[in-house]
Amino acid sequence: MISTYPLNAGRQRVFGSVFSPASLEARPPLASSLGSDQTPLASFQPNSSFSTVKTGSFTSLQHEQSAAAPLDREKWDQAWSASTAFLAVPNQGFAPIYEARETDGSEALKEWSRLSPPSKETAEALSYLTAAAQQGSTSLGATTPKNLFDWYGDEIRRHFLTNLRSGLYKLLKNPEKEGLLRTIVDCLQLARRIYLAPVVHYLLPLLPTREQGRVLTQLQRAFHTVASHSLPWSTISPLLGGELAKDSLIILGIDTLIEQSREDESSQDGMEVDRQYSVSYEDWKNETSEVQAQMMTEGENGRVTMARDRLLAFLNGLQLVGLGGDKAQKVFASVMNLMMTEFVRAAYTRQWETPTAVPQHLQHWIENVFARLAVQVLAIIHTPAPGSQSPGSLDVSFGDVERWQEIGIARLGALRTSELFDIIVEWPASSGAVEDLRHFTTHPAARAHVTQSFIAILNQRLLHPGASTVEILQLYISIIRAFHLLDPKGVLLDRIARPIRRYLRGRDDTVKVIVGGLLAEPATADAAALPSTNDTLVELSTELSKAHQLSLQNNTSELDWDDMNWVPDPIDAATDYRKSKSSDVIDSLVSLFDSKETFVKELQTLLSDRLLQKREDYDQEISVLELLKVRFGDSALQACEVMLRDISDSRRVDAVVRNDQGLSKPPARIHAKRPLNQPLPELHAKILSRFFWPEIQDQEFKVPDEIASLQDRYSAGFEALKASRKLTWRNGLGQATVELELSDRSFSEEVTTWQATVIYAFQSTDDDNVTRTVSYLAEQLHMAATLVRSACLFWVSKRILVESSRDTFRVLECLPTDDEMEADASGHNSGAADLQSGAVSNAAAAAAEAAAMAAAKETAEAAAMEKMNLYWQFIVGMLTNQGAMPLQRIVMMLKIVVPGGFPFSNEELREFLAGMVSRKKLEIVSGGNYKLVH
Amino acid sequence: MDYTMEDTQNSAPDALEATKLNSAAQRNDTQSVTKRLQAELMQLMLSPSPGISAFPDADGNLLSWTATITGPTETPYEGLTLKLSFTFPNNYPYSPPTVLFKTPIYHPNFDFSGRICLDILKDKWSAVYNVQSVLLSLQSLLGEPNNASPLNAQAAELWDSDQEEFKKHVLARHRDLDDE
Repeated sequence: MISTYPLNAGRQRVFGSVFSPASLEARPPLASSLGSDQTPLASFQPNSSFSTVKTGSFTSLQHEQSAAAPLDREKWDQAWSASTAFLAVPNQGFAPIYEARETDGSEALKEWSRLSPPSKETAEALSYLTAAAQQGSTSLGATTPKNLFDWYGDEIRRHFLTNLRSGLYKLLKNPEKEGLLRTIVDCLQLARRIYLAPVVHYLLPLLPTREQGRVLTQLQRAFHTVASHSLPWSTISPLLGGELAKDSLIILGIDTLIEQSREDESSQDGMEVDRQYSVSYEDWKNETSEVQAQMMTEGENGRVTMARDRLLAFLNGLQLVGLGGDKAQKVFASVMNLMMTEFVRAAYTRQWETPTAVPQHLQHWIENVFARLAVQVLAIIHTPAPGSQSPGSLDVSFGDVERWQEIGIARLGALRTSELFDIIVEWPASSGAVEDLRHFTTHPAARAHVTQSFIAILNQRLLHPGASTVEILQLYISIIRAFHLLDPKGVLLDRIARPIRRYLRGRDDTVKVIVGGLLAEPATADAAALPSTNDTLVELSTELSKAHQLSLQNNTSELDWDDMNWVPDPIDAATDYRKSKSSDVIDSLVSLFDSKETFVKELQTLLSDRLLQKREDYDQEISVLELLKVRFGDSALQACEVMLRDISDSRRVDAVVRNDQGLSKPPARIHAKRPLNQPLPELHAKILSRFFWPEIQDQEFKVPDEIASLQDRYSAGFEALKASRKLTWRNGLGQATVELELSDRSFSEEVTTWQATVIYAFQSTDDDNVTRTVSYLAEQLHMAATLVRSACLFWVSKRILVESSRDTFRVLECLPTDDEMEADASGHNSGAADLQSGAVSNAAAAAAEAAAMAAAKETAEAAAMEKMNLYWQFIVGMLTNQGAMPLQRIVMMLKIVVPGGFPFSNEELREFLAGMVSRKKLEIVSGGNYKLVH
Repeated sequence: MDYTMEDTQNSAPDALEATKLNSAAQRNDTQSVTKRLQAELMQLMLSPSPGISAFPDADGNLLSWTATITGPTETPYEGLTLKLSFTFPNNYPYSPPTVLFKTPIYHPNFDFSGRICLDILKDKWSAVYNVQSVLLSLQSLLGEPNNASPLNAQAAELWDSDQEEFKKHVLARHRDLDDE
């Protein structure tokens, strides 16, 4: 799969650049005086052993000859000076090298007279010296001051430092970093050729084969040392990183991905390019598996090929001039690391479809694209370790590729983890992404990472006051489902859910929302095809009817000894983790609260509201209650049961009582005027068992006399029916059908009882316009003034009353005619006038509503005050016994000691305490401590 | 709220040796003790008796309370504020709470370290007693000391012989505890 071809090609290029074929051919035959004729030049090429062996035998012959020659000090000196003169590198400075860096180099070599063959004498001197060096210090001893190659190494060092170093420095300082490293490498390559050309061409052939390699390595090392010494790695490595990144972005196909996503953002169409080669996941997943397999291995486009060639050539150069090796590998590794992340991000962000093939695609990509580049690059910038691998062996093993694939999956996991919140928001459309995440969460560290970062995101994005409880619950439901898919054991969910649940417990309206959701009509939810409206979690009611069968089936506990599928809890489970067999949403929500009591209490309140409405049947409530009974058991919901029974019973009792008391004579009210002595209005009652119903906030007021007498008769009838029970009338709850006859119109509508009572007070027989003030009505009806005003405003909105002056209302006996309206509107046409009157009544309706709200709030506040009195007792007890305390501590203590928790915020308590301070019951002493006044 | 409570309960300092014996059942006990104490507190709050008051300590631990008795009228303690500490054992109400006077007090049945000689806090304890009944007993003890078994013999003697002198001693000994 991994082709060895590029490796060989690379090597050929390496040697090609050193032993340029052109210069080899141009080489004149070696000095014949030495008796060595047209031997093939021994090139330092370990894998072409054939020629090496051959020359080796020749040179050893020469060796013997020259060894026989007498060693003469003078001769040696002469030879030395001739050779050094020939080999010395002219001090031409850096500029010519910089100029010639882009040529093939032969010109420059000529210019530097590095290719001109040595004269005969020089050649002799060279061979003499090499021979002398061969014999080594053993025979010459102290007489040979130097080895020629050592000298040349020093010469390279000297020349480099004096001529090139400052030039390279200047280059490095160049602010224009683009391609800078390439320039430097080109220069260094040229310099290297200049240094080594004479040696390779004229000196090495004189040596035996085994020596050739050693000498060349020695000189090269000299060059590498000085080159890397002059170029600080801290400057080079970012440059190298940049170069690598630039090309690998193209080779790995990441740039096209990024472009694509940008184009996607700008324009959705015009993307019908026939791509044979693509690493894009979107393209990939739409193809058949055969095409998929070929997609990344075949048909690289020209751009990629170009980039690849360019990069490999550059790295060849880099390796040659000694900047490759270990350090370059490190840089390469960090770049590839970055590329992996980048690719995962570019390719898979928001690719959440189900079923997912992302992991397969990623593995495929790593195997065919990522690993391929790594193999190619590593083959070039290998570390020249002694006795290292044979040239055919790969620097990258399959184990490495597998490890990379693992890393890739981890990166994918990190991406999905960071996206997790959005994934869950889009649930269930995004279940594919959760599948991806499953590949990642295989070991505890990864799981811990997922949960921790997700909790952090949750805290930041969800669990704050800006999010509504419905939203949070909605998301919590999605989280439950998503994490159930991710981790069926539920350990991750258990950990994620803790902060959410803790937060939800702190919210006042959580119970209300949940119960409201349970009681919502599932039918409407289906019809609307919306998962949830903004203020109710209708999803819950669907869930309730759907999930209850499931939850019933396997409710086995840990104590089921016969469970053959039992496995221990995962090791990262929390100590108090309890396995839940199902991802039962309702259970999780209901178990938010420590006891069912809170829940049942809220259910009662909501149920009572709904049951008191005038409706034909209560099937929805009954069915919900039955389902909840399955969950909670009969006893918990007994009160609710009784409430439902009350409602159905009272229908029967109502009929009986009315029959007995003769109240049900069909009243002749059709088109009847309503003078006082008209047939009595009908009275129906709902009989509630007070003990089982939640406390109902009621408005106290006096009902009209004729209603009161009806109530009395009804009560009598009821007591006759049920001897030991009594009726207490709740006047504020209920509906009344009101028919009004005005001089120009009649009006009939169902309104609340207090609204009816107020309008009844305006009743009159004569034609006088009846005028009433709010205070008069409040006194007459024993009704709260705010409530009276609210009722009056309601009737204003119905255009029955008008407010003649502040808090004084008058019956609007005749509607102003259009003409009058027009006169009023002065110049507006009638349409506009209608509009106007409509607006007026709208405004009045709004005002009435506001007033009703105010009245309701007043009663609620009174109830709250009632409760506050109890808390006041606690505060007094606390302050008596524990001494003065700051607000914070008071709140804390109240939260601990008040059963059911303290429902008010710090601010509310502060206000309350301030009230007590002004009433001289408390004083504030030093440090903001509250103290009782004795 | 229950979380914080659970934590503090687990680390509750055990006042009695007895708790070590039944440490296995301790958690359950603690829970029922908490419930009981909460109920007692609620009762105290809903039907407060004049002159007595009690409240859990501010460390959030329901097992230790502070109580206050105002000296009953027509006794030497009239108008004085007396503070007591209640420490409940883990098997409350099956064992009596440990009650101590924090305010220095001069009284035949209380010694100078605030220890109390009262039968219902010792062998006559029964689970039907509660904080309120203990406080009421102590309140009445202030007016009518049980001189038959005095902890402070001098005070017992003085009570019988010289009420004026007794009251002087009471006032000399009394010192209002400062608010924290």
